[in-house]
Amino acid sequence: MSAEHTERDVILSVRHVDITFSTGRKKKLTAVKDANFDIYRGETFALVGESGSGKTTLGRAIMRINPCSAGEILFEGKRISGKISREEDRNVIRNIQMIFQDPAASLNERATIEYCVSEGLYNFHLYQDEKDRIAKVDKALQDVGLLPEHKSRYPHEFSGGQRQRVGIARAMIMNPKFIVADEPISALDVSIRAQVLNLMNKLKAERDLTYLFIAHDLSVVRFIADRIAVIHLGEIVEIAESETLFKYPVHPYTVSLLSTVPMPDPVVERTRKHIVYDPSVLDQSGAPRSMRELRPGHFILATDAELEGYEKRIEALEAIRAKKDSQEELK
Amino acid sequence: MDIRKTKIQDVNLFEFADFDELKSEHIAAPRYSYWKSVWRTFFRNKFTVAVAVLLLLIIGFALIQPMYSGYSPIDTPNINTPEMKFQQPSAQHIFGTDHVGNEVFDAVWAGARNSIIISFVCTALNMLIGIPIGALWGFSKKMDRWMIEVYNIISNIPFLLLAMILSYVLGAGMQSLIITMTCTEWIFVAYFIRTQVMIIRDREYNMASKCLGTRTWTMIIKNILPYLISVIMTYVSRQIPSLISYEVFLSYMGLGLGTTNASLGRTISLYTSYMTGYPHLFWIPVGVLALISISLYIVGQKLADAADPRTHV
Repeated sequence: MSAEHTERDVILSVRHVDITFSTGRKKKLTAVKDANFDIYRGETFALVGESGSGKTTLGRAIMRINPCSAGEILFEGKRISGKISREEDRNVIRNIQMIFQDPAASLNERATIEYCVSEGLYNFHLYQDEKDRIAKVDKALQDVGLLPEHKSRYPHEFSGGQRQRVGIARAMIMNPKFIVADEPISALDVSIRAQVLNLMNKLKAERDLTYLFIAHDLSVVRFIADRIAVIHLGEIVEIAESETLFKYPVHPYTVSLLSTVPMPDPVVERTRKHIVYDPSVLDQSGAPRSMRELRPGHFILATDAELEGYEKRIEALEAIRAKKDSQEELK
Repeated sequence: MDIRKTKIQDVNLFEFADFDELKSEHIAAPRYSYWKSVWRTFFRNKFTVAVAVLLLLIIGFALIQPMYSGYSPIDTPNINTPEMKFQQPSAQHIFGTDHVGNEVFDAVWAGARNSIIISFVCTALNMLIGIPIGALWGFSKKMDRWMIEVYNIISNIPFLLLAMILSYVLGAGMQSLIITMTCTEWIFVAYFIRTQVMIIRDREYNMASKCLGTRTWTMIIKNILPYLISVIMTYVSRQIPSLISYEVFLSYMGLGLGTTNASLGRTISLYTSYMTGYPHLFWIPVGVLALISISLYIVGQKLADAADPRTHV
């Protein structure tokens, strides 16, 4: 890692993590291969990839729902993957919380909102008395823009956006430091996506949170993320700052992924070309691939031979950008 | 008329509407209450209510009538009075009299009382043992590995053989009959619950609870069992009548209640020999048995349907 990044405070690091599932007697499915990245305190780190690329699996490994078969995950310098003591376990639960994809499926339909939101409080006894608990639930509901009168309602009485906000309130009441948001808006109506995203940003600023934001929708990621990791078939292929990735996409998969983002401009949209990802352009010699730092903070999965090609590509992109910028200045 | 060309005549007619974001969060629908909705759905159907009333009358009558009649199968005061034997049903003898001159009416209700008590007690015991064990069984993969072997062994023991051995060892009587009908039956309840728990165990809301640090027991009570109310009710509504017929069957085979206790099974078995000459002796106890079983089944099923929130709309 470069010098400027080591200065920043790492809250969570994923170290060479493999996640495999056994699919029968000796068969194994590798869902995530050698995932290796750091998440800095206070940032929103996005994990982007198509369906089945392993992004949710990785998020669940951080929540310790899926075990890692190799490598380790560190939270504030302490290992949280594998077997850990009960005390550590409770500590991790309080500090790492999750927002789920489907707000309809992730709330207990037979419990009132009051129970759903106070579940964490009950488990850790984070309240002095009943009055204090009610006050905390009211506060948590108000923080996400819901009303205290909603306490006695059941999840099915709410709209999708409201339910997702209940899910957010339930996670936030634990006062976590780190949130894994597993496609929190992809199940929502387009009209309320912005509302939930803004709420997440507001809470992040107020509570000094760090997000791991899992998504497949790049336009959303650009809006919310500071850094983006692109994952393809279980391998992270490119990590860069959000703007860098959109300006200088280098890996062919990232390029094709970016070409799918629709533009809200009919003229541009008409000329938009969808680039199909063709893995045959990669180095087929079988040389080992590893994460290389192309520019400070811009990492890419490459072999030695591929790295040269990527170097040329980013130089070309930079040249085009520089030309454009100078033209803008002339105008 | 083009709206852009119309001039607003009087600006004062218009005012800015204010928009309150919190107001839009308000839910106007009346409050939902699970159990209230269950009862409302249950009582909506007139037929169900009629069957439920009939069932309550039968059960109440079976529990109260024997207290007044004081019927006992070994008590035969009219055995030497031939004119009291084999009377047809009439105003004096509602269900007629039997081969020893006893009232069939008394015999049937005393038998029904014991059958109902046994089946209710056995069902309650089976559920009390089976549901917690089944819930844990469904949750724990470790427990599943050895419990499935226990299940395989117990479910392969022939029930009749077990009942015979137990009735020889424990003797005839209400207690031993209850033991016979619970000592293996609970594992079938547990197995049924295990399967149901496994279906909903890995749903996302359970994963969410796990991420919040909820313990297994809290999850079973708050997340799993409320979802299973309706399937458990369906199970109970099948179990009660089936245990009544078990009791009848075992008593008919001579393995159930002893000669001192009244029982529908024993009554039917005794009266079967007079079926050709005096068919009412056979058909009346069988009819009462059918009435109890069917009404229990219908009420149980309707209650289970009402407990399913999908029917609440």
